[in-house]
Amino acid sequence: MNAAIDIHHIEKSFGRVKALDGLDLSVEPGTVHGFLGPNGAGKSTTIRILLGLLRADAGQARLFGGDPWADAVALHRRLAYVPGDVVLWPNLTGGEAIDLFTRLRGGADPARRDELCQRFDLDPSKKGRTYSKGNRQKVALIAALAADVELLLLDEPTAGLDPLMEAVFQECIREAKESGRTVLLSSHVLAQVEVLADRISIIRQGRIVETGSLTDLRHLTRTTVDAVTDRPADTLAGLPGVHGLEAADGHVRFEVDGDHLAAVVRRLGDLDVHALTVRPPTLEQLLLRHYGDQAVHSGATVAA
Amino acid sequence: MTTTALSRPTTTPRPRGATLAGTGTLLRFMLRRDRFRLPAWTLGLALLMTYFATALDSMVSSPSDLEGLTAFTGSPAGALFGGPGFGFDDLTVERFLAGQYGLYVAIGAGLMGLLTVVRHTRAEERSGRAELVRANAVGRHAQLTAALILTVVMSVVIAVLIGAVMADRGYDTAGSLLFGASVGAVGLAFAGIAAVTVQLSEYPRAASGTAGALLGAAFVLRGLGDMAAVQGSGPSWLSWLSPIGWSQQTAPYVLDRWWPLALSLAFAAAATAVAYTLSGRRDLGAGLLPPRPGPPRAAAWLAGPFTLALRLHRANLIGWSAALIAAGLAYGSFTQPLIDGFADAPDDMVAVMGGRDNMLAGYLGVMALTMALAVAVYAVLAAHLLRTEETDGRTEPVLATGVSRPAWLGGHVAVVAAGVPWLLLVAGLGMGIGTAASTGDAGLAGDVLLGHLAFTPAVWLVLSAAALLYAAVPRWLPVIWVAPAWGLVAGYFAPVLDLPGSLVRLSPFEHIGRYPLERISVVAILVLTLLTGVLTWTAVTVFQRRDVTGGS
Repeated sequence: MNAAIDIHHIEKSFGRVKALDGLDLSVEPGTVHGFLGPNGAGKSTTIRILLGLLRADAGQARLFGGDPWADAVALHRRLAYVPGDVVLWPNLTGGEAIDLFTRLRGGADPARRDELCQRFDLDPSKKGRTYSKGNRQKVALIAALAADVELLLLDEPTAGLDPLMEAVFQECIREAKESGRTVLLSSHVLAQVEVLADRISIIRQGRIVETGSLTDLRHLTRTTVDAVTDRPADTLAGLPGVHGLEAADGHVRFEVDGDHLAAVVRRLGDLDVHALTVRPPTLEQLLLRHYGDQAVHSGATVAA
Repeated sequence: MTTTALSRPTTTPRPRGATLAGTGTLLRFMLRRDRFRLPAWTLGLALLMTYFATALDSMVSSPSDLEGLTAFTGSPAGALFGGPGFGFDDLTVERFLAGQYGLYVAIGAGLMGLLTVVRHTRAEERSGRAELVRANAVGRHAQLTAALILTVVMSVVIAVLIGAVMADRGYDTAGSLLFGASVGAVGLAFAGIAAVTVQLSEYPRAASGTAGALLGAAFVLRGLGDMAAVQGSGPSWLSWLSPIGWSQQTAPYVLDRWWPLALSLAFAAAATAVAYTLSGRRDLGAGLLPPRPGPPRAAAWLAGPFTLALRLHRANLIGWSAALIAAGLAYGSFTQPLIDGFADAPDDMVAVMGGRDNMLAGYLGVMALTMALAVAVYAVLAAHLLRTEETDGRTEPVLATGVSRPAWLGGHVAVVAAGVPWLLLVAGLGMGIGTAASTGDAGLAGDVLLGHLAFTPAVWLVLSAAALLYAAVPRWLPVIWVAPAWGLVAGYFAPVLDLPGSLVRLSPFEHIGRYPLERISVVAILVLTLLTGVLTWTAVTVFQRRDVTGGS
């Protein structure tokens, strides 16, 4: 099967700033693909190139096998897009904006639109300028989800949504996946990607630094272990793959590399474990390892 | 870790005037924010007055020139666009300046007053910054009070500057100071009006729009009253209902009466009192008038790039139609008095109208050109709407649907291009009806309409050039203002400035012909239309080659 999105080594500069520096990305049809990275990493630029709004300086981008720059209109009929910062026309109501977008894309089922308005708790009769950021985001989400399209390009779609609406959003994405749609979900909300995505690509400074399923990526990272033992656990510090061990009053806490986990757990058993918590790495930790330098830097700023 | 012992008062005494707490700090902050805006307004208006005075001095070289001016300004038309004409039977340059041009400086002061108040009150609330400010030890009325004090400061500065400018030119000192004060008083009156309108709506644009409409109403009221006063019959008391009228009734350099300004001050004080009462009854950020809900569904016709463009340009088109038909009727109905008045005007002014023998046809031709330039301003502003759509981030989601770039740009250009002959038609109708009523010659209406419509291709050319600039290098779009500006200079001032013909012909408006004074050039119409087509086609092609920017 052909990939829904297939990007080979694209580059894009704005003046002297290099936004994309040889980015590769492949998204299989029917999957939810998490596109993860900090602000300014190039997520929006990538999506705008996929929409044919920007032209890549080098490399090749393919959408359903077509050229997003040359065949923009034909491809756009098969996709829906939600920008991260939705701007509406101040004097059009939310309902008018939703209808307009779905019609420009080729129409949508009015019943589905009304159902989505209800689920997202949106009053469609308010003027665009009166909506809060979260409500503007809902307008764009409803317009995208109501359309009968093959691909959803979502650029940080839930910024400004409250947790309740975030849950509705997750439900809708699962439904979209069940009905066979492909979703590219860009985010820096890590928990969201973790919950929804089949595969994840991590972008940093215009390049994909890591791509794979969540399990693949966890392999590369450290598991956190908390334990209470009868016998002193200091000796674990000497084992290969163990990092940052702290032990006090029988309580031990450390991180261990994925491929050394088995050996460490075996040793823990000999120490008369009373309580044991093993936590898989969160995406925060994944990112911290990739952006470790930046995290340290910003941490220093906060401390100062 | 070290802990710091904080000493805090156990009881907080409630200070008197708590609703005004922080006013001084806010005022200093506003002065800091307006450190360029304040001198720009005050010096700008003083410079405008200096410009009027210098221009008049250079035009009037003898007492007979002054008499020629009186003929026009003493007519009802002159009264509508000038004032009641105090002392015009014994005219001096300073009386003419205060009586005829003072009105426009006063309108400028009114705009300054209302915009300053809206900027520092409702605009701050709408943006959410007022919430941050009010969360500190700042009283409920502090922001409004500081904004009003700032406006008072600006008005006083304007009064003093204009008084000084006029006195410096050698005009009577007492009269100069009174004239300056009468201009500043309009600023105060409209600051008071804006203080009320900002309480009503949540939106700064609605607040300044309402206050601006009242400024327009004040202009019209005193215009009607002054016309009646000049004719010696009719409701001349209407002038006394207008804050601008009170300022004009001071009659600087003639009667030199200060007491009408007491009305202005009392009005401003009363409006401010109403504003404080209303402000005390509403929540921060809320308006007294609730926002109206709109249709929850889009009309069936709103379904494509062309209809979307139509919907976005609709409100502007309606507003321009109303303004142009009103302007057409007003200027048309003064045709006869204007021509009578111009009979003795200085030669330079007559030359612009096509010479003494063709005054009627010349005036109608000049008005057709004037309306065409106004419609060109509409077209340029409409082109700027395209750029705002893109930079605000509303173009991107539309182009991410099944709408192609040529369809999006073409839709907008088509709507504006259709709006051009429509607006010329509306302006021509108003002008034609007014002219026919004024001269009693109904046959003129058709000529006037044709003369207006003939300018369509010239405005189209400006529009297509704007579209091309937008499509190729959007940040250069403002350069297009050169086109209507040069059209104005070439159209009005070519004889005065002795411009070479090759420069005059650079203006597309100079090829059509000012019907009925001149013949309409069919060749020019065809060539300009063809050029429009080429430029538009190029614009659409070029627009497919560049990046479209997003909102953030």
